[in-house]
Amino acid sequence: MTYLDMEIPSRSSHLWRYTPWKRIHPSKIDTVPSCENIIINHDGDCNVKSDVRKTISSNDISRVFLNECNNEMTVIEIDGKGQLVHVNLISSSENTIGHIDFNCKGDATIIIHLSGSANWTGLHITGNVEKNSSVGYAFVNELDGNSTLLRCEDWKIHRDSNLEYGELSIGGFRNKTDIRTSLCDSNSMLNQTVAVHGVDSRHDDHHMEISHLVKYTNSSLVMNAACGDRSHSIGTGQLFIAKDANNSNAGQVFHNLLLSQDARADAIPELEVLSDDVSAAHGAASAPIDKEQLHYLLSRGFSPEQAEALIVEGFLVNTFSSLKNKIISDDLRTRLKIHLECGIVG
Amino acid sequence: MSEQAHEAVGDYRYGFHDPEQATIRFDKGLSEQVVRDISELKNEPEWMTEIRVKAYHHFIERPMPEWGNCNMLDGINFENVTYFLRSSKQTEKDWDDVPDDIKNTFERLGIPEAEQKWLGGVTAQYESEAVYHSIREDLEQQGVLFFDMDTGLKEHPEIVKKYFCSVVPYSDNKFAALNTAVWSGGSFIYVPKNVHVEMPVQAYFRINAKNMGQFERTLIIADEGSSIHYVEGCTAPTYSTDSLHSAVVELIAMDNAKIRYSTVQNWSANVYNLVTKRGIAHSNSVIEWVDGNIGSKLTMKYPAVILKGEGAHAEVISVAYAGEGQHQDAGAKVHHLAPRTTSNILSKSISKNGGRSSYRGLLQVTPKAEGCRSKIVCDALMLDDLSRSDTYPTMEVGNSTADLEHEASVSRISGDQLFYLMSRGFSEEEAMGMIVNGFFEPFTRELPMEYAVELNKLLELEMEGSIG
Repeated sequence: MTYLDMEIPSRSSHLWRYTPWKRIHPSKIDTVPSCENIIINHDGDCNVKSDVRKTISSNDISRVFLNECNNEMTVIEIDGKGQLVHVNLISSSENTIGHIDFNCKGDATIIIHLSGSANWTGLHITGNVEKNSSVGYAFVNELDGNSTLLRCEDWKIHRDSNLEYGELSIGGFRNKTDIRTSLCDSNSMLNQTVAVHGVDSRHDDHHMEISHLVKYTNSSLVMNAACGDRSHSIGTGQLFIAKDANNSNAGQVFHNLLLSQDARADAIPELEVLSDDVSAAHGAASAPIDKEQLHYLLSRGFSPEQAEALIVEGFLVNTFSSLKNKIISDDLRTRLKIHLECGIVG
Repeated sequence: MSEQAHEAVGDYRYGFHDPEQATIRFDKGLSEQVVRDISELKNEPEWMTEIRVKAYHHFIERPMPEWGNCNMLDGINFENVTYFLRSSKQTEKDWDDVPDDIKNTFERLGIPEAEQKWLGGVTAQYESEAVYHSIREDLEQQGVLFFDMDTGLKEHPEIVKKYFCSVVPYSDNKFAALNTAVWSGGSFIYVPKNVHVEMPVQAYFRINAKNMGQFERTLIIADEGSSIHYVEGCTAPTYSTDSLHSAVVELIAMDNAKIRYSTVQNWSANVYNLVTKRGIAHSNSVIEWVDGNIGSKLTMKYPAVILKGEGAHAEVISVAYAGEGQHQDAGAKVHHLAPRTTSNILSKSISKNGGRSSYRGLLQVTPKAEGCRSKIVCDALMLDDLSRSDTYPTMEVGNSTADLEHEASVSRISGDQLFYLMSRGFSEEEAMGMIVNGFFEPFTRELPMEYAVELNKLLELEMEGSIG
């Protein structure tokens, strides 16, 4: 089915309840605009080649749309011996799009940094973590404050492998992110962490699906969102445990810190469990800044802005505390600190 | 019960049925004329007929929900439902005047005995209308109004007109529209200022006929500083074809009032139970939903509270048991509209023999709701690998001072617990039954004693044959 044949999702559809499709489409919804390729700079020991993304059989409108806008794809193969691959994505023209496919074997660390001032950016990242692999992956969104981002990611994790996933979302004006991970073989593991900082009228909508398809699979999802000004953060976690996925462990936690009266945060941690011999849990919490913490810092001479920034930093940095890959957790923490310090300085 | 009958009924103890003795029975199917006929038959005021007709048109225009168990919902054939069936000429005040068959049914369900022992009032509804109604004299003297809804409309039209559809408008959802169009029976309660109804009042709903639709409408108003506990129970015979139960319940708790609404729903496994329950809580009032779902084919029920006044509190305790072929899609919705409102939601579910239980909830905090607090806990037990358990909670937080928590877990019965009980001489089946009863204990302890005992018995029956 092509994009123009597809029905525009209504707001009764959970995925599009908070960010309607028309607000994420780059122009009129009955058009498929032409898009420039995103600029991809990479650094590290990997094999890069060009390809074309095959026609998507998915019913998901985002993926079909991204494919039809432009299906030129960059394939990055990492035959891992512990190397670090940096990928800088620069989105600079009116409408920009990028397709990247990672194929990871062995041990590797990937850090993606997205920046630029494009009006609209579409990004579709797919990844395959081959058997006996250990991959650390960090994604930092630092788009300019007027950009709209539509981002889809699809990951498959195979036998005896793990993916440590860290994301820092601090850029762009309107973001719609849809990350789907399948634990395809036994002893596969996902540790996913997402930190969101909302300022001004930033709108950040994260949908994360994790599918435990076979037995002995493990996943953990932590999303922390700190929302200030009139920003709005949405976190939807859809955890699916298939019928035969016994002995699986899954957990997801959503924390929201609301920093201003007009900020808004929505959390929807969903569970669908079809197997009985599993451990599955989720939690969500939403609260303002703890007044005792604020008082403590103020009494030690910090200004209210500095004290709030420190609490936000502690809250967001804590998101990555479960990541064992030190390279990505350090990188994400450093970028977060710089972002928050820039915020205080103005 | 004959052996043959028992075979048909299976383990569902209320699956028996009486021969149908309708005084008035409408043909199957729904049309504007059917809606007008129901209204005319009840000799209703014009404004009610108008609401019914508007609701009917809304029902026709509104598509079926695109969420939830669409496969099961698609199985409803609205043309194969009887929308009105009158079994008794009038609502009796004395058991002896109730037709024998119906009286026997309710006696088998234990209603008269319960009334004598521990109830402040009883309404027994059979098919579309109440067949028996009584209220204790002392409550009547204090000005408590407790009627079946049809009588309530006749005797107190001004109160009904003021509050009917004020909490659940007919345009709320497709099934609320259907109920508003064809409602019949249900309870109407008004508790005057500062009156506390110490003993619970009860309504018992029974579907007897095949392919029957029961659409009761309940309206409870607790005036300032008053309190009431309302209990409802539901059963139906087991047939091979489906019945439809689509009720609407509206609660209004004025300032400092308290309403507790307890339900033990034990419909047979051929009943679609699609219910809209919602309350509005004014300043410093309390609304509590204590909701047990044991039976039915598909239940879609999300008791809701709109916390409209400052300091109001909502409490929802919900348990669901999903056995073979059942989907219990239950949950809770709380809307915090006012400052310093609080809510607690506790949901527990068990899935067994391929049953599916879902928690679907919404917690909304609007920008004006300063200093709200809320806690949601969902626990699910799965007893075998054929079953399924889902949770779909939504938290929408629009105020930075809100303090909210949500936690959920899905697990199987702990091997350690089973081992402990079995080492003390219980069989595996007994041990499992005890663990399940313990799992539901936070719910049963909130029920009146007789209901709690009954629920435990029901669960034991459901748990029979769990092993092997």
